Amino acid sequence: MSRHAQENLVSLILLGLFGLVLWLCQDFGPRARLIPLPLAVFGIALTVAQFAWHNFGREDARPMEMISVDTSAITATGEGRPRTERTEEQLGQWGETGAYFIVALLVAMIFAIGIFPTVFVFTAAYLILTRYCTAVRGLAYSAALTASIYLLFAVALEMQPYHGLLAGRMS
Amino acid sequence: MIDAISAGLFALLTPQAVLFLFLGVIYGLVIGILPGLGGVVAMALLLPFTYGFETAATLALLLGAHIATIWGDSVTSILFSVPGSAKGLALCFDGYPMTKQGKAKRALAASATGALLGGIIGAVFLALCIPLIRPVILALGPSEYLMMALWGLTVIATFSEGSLMKGMTASVLGVLVAFIGTDVVTATPRFTFGSEFLMDGISFPVAMIGLFAVSEMMKMSIRGTPIIDRSLVSEDSTVWQGVCDAFRHWWLVVRSSLLGLWIGVLPGVGASVAGLAAYAQAVQTSKTPERFGKGAVEGVIAPDATMGANEGGGLMPTLAFGIPGGESMAILLVAFIGLGIVPGPDMLTKNLDVVFSMVWIIVLANIMVTIIGLGITPWLARLPSLQANLMVPMVLSVCFVGAYATRGRIEDVVVAAVFGVIGYLMDKYRYSRANFVIGMVLAVMIERNLHISINLYGADFLLDRPIALAMLIFVVVTAVLPFWREQRRKRAALQAGGVT
Repeated sequence: MSRHAQENLVSLILLGLFGLVLWLCQDFGPRARLIPLPLAVFGIALTVAQFAWHNFGREDARPMEMISVDTSAITATGEGRPRTERTEEQLGQWGETGAYFIVALLVAMIFAIGIFPTVFVFTAAYLILTRYCTAVRGLAYSAALTASIYLLFAVALEMQPYHGLLAGRMS
Repeated sequence: MIDAISAGLFALLTPQAVLFLFLGVIYGLVIGILPGLGGVVAMALLLPFTYGFETAATLALLLGAHIATIWGDSVTSILFSVPGSAKGLALCFDGYPMTKQGKAKRALAASATGALLGGIIGAVFLALCIPLIRPVILALGPSEYLMMALWGLTVIATFSEGSLMKGMTASVLGVLVAFIGTDVVTATPRFTFGSEFLMDGISFPVAMIGLFAVSEMMKMSIRGTPIIDRSLVSEDSTVWQGVCDAFRHWWLVVRSSLLGLWIGVLPGVGASVAGLAAYAQAVQTSKTPERFGKGAVEGVIAPDATMGANEGGGLMPTLAFGIPGGESMAILLVAFIGLGIVPGPDMLTKNLDVVFSMVWIIVLANIMVTIIGLGITPWLARLPSLQANLMVPMVLSVCFVGAYATRGRIEDVVVAAVFGVIGYLMDKYRYSRANFVIGMVLAVMIERNLHISINLYGADFLLDRPIALAMLIFVVVTAVLPFWREQRRKRAALQAGGVT
């Protein structure tokens, strides 16, 4: 999907979101919707204006919005020459999907096996699978991190750890 | 008064007080660097340890920890663009670009020195203004606070140079997200979809962890390179440069400190607003506003000086009226009960030595934080050059544990993840995350004060409150000023182009 189409899709999602707020506000009393209701209308007006500007505005007057991630650090050297190791295309959609997957996996693991086991397993797996270090070192680093986090949060700050759904099933 | 000043200092010179101050500062620095945990958590966790010790030592422990969290917050904002709490948000705008340009040492040193100078200036002015502040606080009501919050929102105009419409949309979204949960005025559940968890609303620190920390780690995992690749950008700044920067911009430090003191004096406004307001005034008063957002050291000095001074200001309403200036001051009030201190007008007459003890604690804690901060800056500045494959799993793990620890609710882990994705997408499509957060911070303040103003003075409350009306005019002027300046600059550039 082109960047132009993605921008339009974002505008449509926002429009739907503000529309939903507007609809939900109908159930509130006049005082409870005193601010959210006009704000949702304002949001719709802004999104429509943004949509119109993006599609029908003058090419030269539009702001530069076509950058995805901060690519300056990737593509430029200290002297301003382009780097050739990894281009933006190479980073592309797979990298983005991978990032979503990492976050989703981490959350799923926390729910399944609890906070501290997840920290150990996730960190060790990430370090070893990305070949940052050897398996032994990866396990050692992860153990050190998990122990530090445990001492800080569970012992010093007296946080009650979440043990996960599997622990609940087993007990 | 001189007697009270010296008595306040001597009370702090006992071995117990000095040790407690040192422990509090070290503990506060560690807590401040952790995502989601700020001064409030730091003080709350120390409360059980405050009974049975000297009054000055207990206050040194609590206030020392609280003051140290401010710089701890700044560290992660500057190095990773990950604010530990809302207070550190303004530091991301110029601190992080400085780090990416290989000026992390300079930024951290400027931040520490700015906070020190702000803390000292704030404390000195607080001591001088104690007799004057009482009538000023009493003259302000909810309408004036509403105008202050609106002024905070106009800051958005400063941050939305790229696309004003997208910036405003982001702030509208932020305000609406802050309304998720039970409405405090009407007790109506809003946008909760029947979820019991959402009745309590979205936790602000958790949203911040997601929007900034998780989304930054997502970006880093995609890039696969560290924040700074030392083969491309070398660290060419020094700690001394940062220290000199803070002194060179002494007038900015004074202005920002007085702003911080003033915002601190106002009950319920808070340091998060102070940092953003300081950044806005630094941009608006600069002769070269175009440098901001790209690594201007003034953008680091101003928020830190303001937050340093803010703590002194926050003590005023807490001590004089028993009205906490912010959440951390509310915890201090609880500690007062344990210590047998009764806040009220007597604090400014009979117990003035205790007040000055606190003023001295602010000064001494700031000095201690700055000395430690400047000492560890060279090591801290190396952190952004750590490999992405090491940073991503470690920071993500700490972030999710921090999100869970905020309220001890597992649903907050999901909230952090969702906001992480939202933050990533906002960054990708250039919807300002800062505007979103400003909207979230100010939404509740605006709504609460609007309702109270209407209840007290009717729908046309501005006519009854001349100070609020004057403040509204000020808000309009400060909102329009950047656009007028930009137009003037463009016109001048056009004319210059025409001449050549």
